[in-house]
Amino acid sequence: MTPWLMAGLLFTPLAWAVLTLLVNFNRGRLISWLGILVQVVVSLGLWAAVAGDGGFHYQLGGWPAPLGIELRVDGLAVTFVLLTALVAAACGWHASIYLDPAKAWHRYFWPLFWFLWAGLNGVWLGGDLFNLYVGLELISLSAVGLVALGGESAALRAAIRYLMAALLGSLAYLLGVALIYGQFGSLSIAGVSRLLGEAGTAPGQTLPLLLMLFGLTLKTALFPMHGWLPPAHGIARSPVSALLSALVVKASFYIAARIWLDLGGYLGSYGLAQLIGGLGAIAVIWGSWRALWQAKLKQVVAYSSVAQIGYLFLLFPLTWGVAEPVSLQAQQGITLQIISHALAKAAMFLAAGNLIMSVGSNRVDALAGVSRFLPFSLFSFGLAGVSLMGLPPSGGFAAKWLLLQSSLASGQWWWLPVLLAGGLLSAAYVFRVYRASFMERAGTDRFFHPSRSLEVIPMILALLSLGLGLVAGPVLSVMVLPFGEGGGQ
Amino acid sequence: MMRLLASALAIAVCLVFAGALAAAVWQIAGTPAPVSLPGLLADNLAASGVEHPVTAVLLNFRSYDTLLEIGVLVIAGIAGISMARTTSLEDPELRTSDSLLYALQRWFVPLMLVLAGYLLWAGSDRPGGAFQAGAVLAASGVMMRLGGIPMPFLRPGLLLRLGLALGFTVFLLVAVASAAGGEAFLAYPKAFTKPLILAIETVLTFSIAMVLLALFVSAPVNQALEPEEGDPG
Repeated sequence: MTPWLMAGLLFTPLAWAVLTLLVNFNRGRLISWLGILVQVVVSLGLWAAVAGDGGFHYQLGGWPAPLGIELRVDGLAVTFVLLTALVAAACGWHASIYLDPAKAWHRYFWPLFWFLWAGLNGVWLGGDLFNLYVGLELISLSAVGLVALGGESAALRAAIRYLMAALLGSLAYLLGVALIYGQFGSLSIAGVSRLLGEAGTAPGQTLPLLLMLFGLTLKTALFPMHGWLPPAHGIARSPVSALLSALVVKASFYIAARIWLDLGGYLGSYGLAQLIGGLGAIAVIWGSWRALWQAKLKQVVAYSSVAQIGYLFLLFPLTWGVAEPVSLQAQQGITLQIISHALAKAAMFLAAGNLIMSVGSNRVDALAGVSRFLPFSLFSFGLAGVSLMGLPPSGGFAAKWLLLQSSLASGQWWWLPVLLAGGLLSAAYVFRVYRASFMERAGTDRFFHPSRSLEVIPMILALLSLGLGLVAGPVLSVMVLPFGEGGGQ
Repeated sequence: MMRLLASALAIAVCLVFAGALAAAVWQIAGTPAPVSLPGLLADNLAASGVEHPVTAVLLNFRSYDTLLEIGVLVIAGIAGISMARTTSLEDPELRTSDSLLYALQRWFVPLMLVLAGYLLWAGSDRPGGAFQAGAVLAASGVMMRLGGIPMPFLRPGLLLRLGLALGFTVFLLVAVASAAGGEAFLAYPKAFTKPLILAIETVLTFSIAMVLLALFVSAPVNQALEPEEGDPG
């Protein structure tokens, strides 16, 4: 059973990609609806299997690591697989209605979408440094292709900038991987971690870790390397922006976190952890501040991503050299932050797309009067905002609460003002959008009404993000599941 | 002055980085790796179906990586043709009709095709394989295109997309079929390992060449087609 679930996750998205490449947009839409259904069922199946029996290692091609590639299927990985299935299903569904089938180039949306999904699943499950690199490449290139879809000059400019940043990040990561391989002769993260723990091995170097972390933080758009993100996420079609902000940047962060948790204890240092945490803290403040002053609606949401990504990097200082329970609490907080941000940000971008479609302009001040016309989409935008602000009972609140506790428990009180100020500034930019939409304008309003399903999708995501705080317990209990007794062959 | 400072700073950063890298490599070179992957590889080479270790790693031990890498190439091709200006292929300005070039091509193209075939076959026991052969095949395509030989299959259409996807599809089918036959995913049945790898390499060569060629011919991208959301068209 399990091998088929694994294949369903890794190989069927690739099959959907090939099938949709050969047909036009409308047929591709039918195939993708079927595909989305299959992927959601398979992801739920694997999640249930791991929740029931614990995690396991899976050898591709029957070759054990380090000769072959080994996948790591644990609680955290399946949590992200399921999150990806939910968010990508919502974005795919939204895109199938939102994108105009009459434009010939939109047919390429589907194959790129499916390649992206395959790459994401590969990264969540990957346990091999080089395989993770390939997964990252799959994700980055399809993301760049999705941003550039249509080839309009501003989109191309943003896409090229994104491509350059992504390539530099990939190369830095690859250089680090090559050094690790040179030193240990193995590419398996678990294998390298085991070797580092053994006595008699030469102590590892810090340079490979630095290179890998530099590449991955560049791809995650950590301050001050975030310059590529707002143009790319702002100019892409709204379902694409949602995918990019909710999932794509999380993939590189996930790899950085896994490397840090497995190797950081041996190769990292207090200063490095504090430096990364500090940059994250600046990102929270700076991103929120910039979001407050953007004239275009989607740029507001994009800068808000820069800020929300900043929180994730508090993982580094909060897990270095602290007691096991404190570190675990920080990991849980960050996981919740990733999940709630993914749901909320996807909801926000999809709602923003609906609002833009309705008023026919991408500027914040053009929203005047839309509150009476499109209350549903505006409400989804606000609900997602509640999670970003970190108000109870949202997932964002639970995440920040855990981070707050682990900051206090580890004596790193200096992260507290960041958590508070970030929440306040998020409130400011969400309310700014609301204020614009409640303004009354002289003259006749000309609004276009998007289809009802377009409005339902962001609402579902926003509600999930809001309700996450209530079900945080069960979600986190699966996330920390260790490998099963018999499964870890 | 500022420019001078900036370039001095950039040079200093590059030198420090190169120095750190050199020191790291020097230290690694001095200590033997605790795991000897080449040794493991040599022990398992007989089971891989090919004699050359690089091909064995690419298409057997780490075939999942290669499958995804081909996927990356297909994505690049898709991204390229999604912005292609359809008419550019028929653009008379891009056509050349040079009789000398034409005569040269009649010598070179068959030669390059033979070379591509040789590289493909050589992959089983010496350096070579699908990527190299595909690059040579694509280069001969580029030369034909520059020489003005019409290649209608490169027009964005079903044929082009089929060509892009063919190698990847066959690879994927083999991966799934091996599982249906009771083996693990991407594990080739023992009796068919060599023919299967050869078949995959052949279609991969073709598709790699198609991707590179498609990227070359779609190079002049279209003028602004799709305005940003909410921008008046």
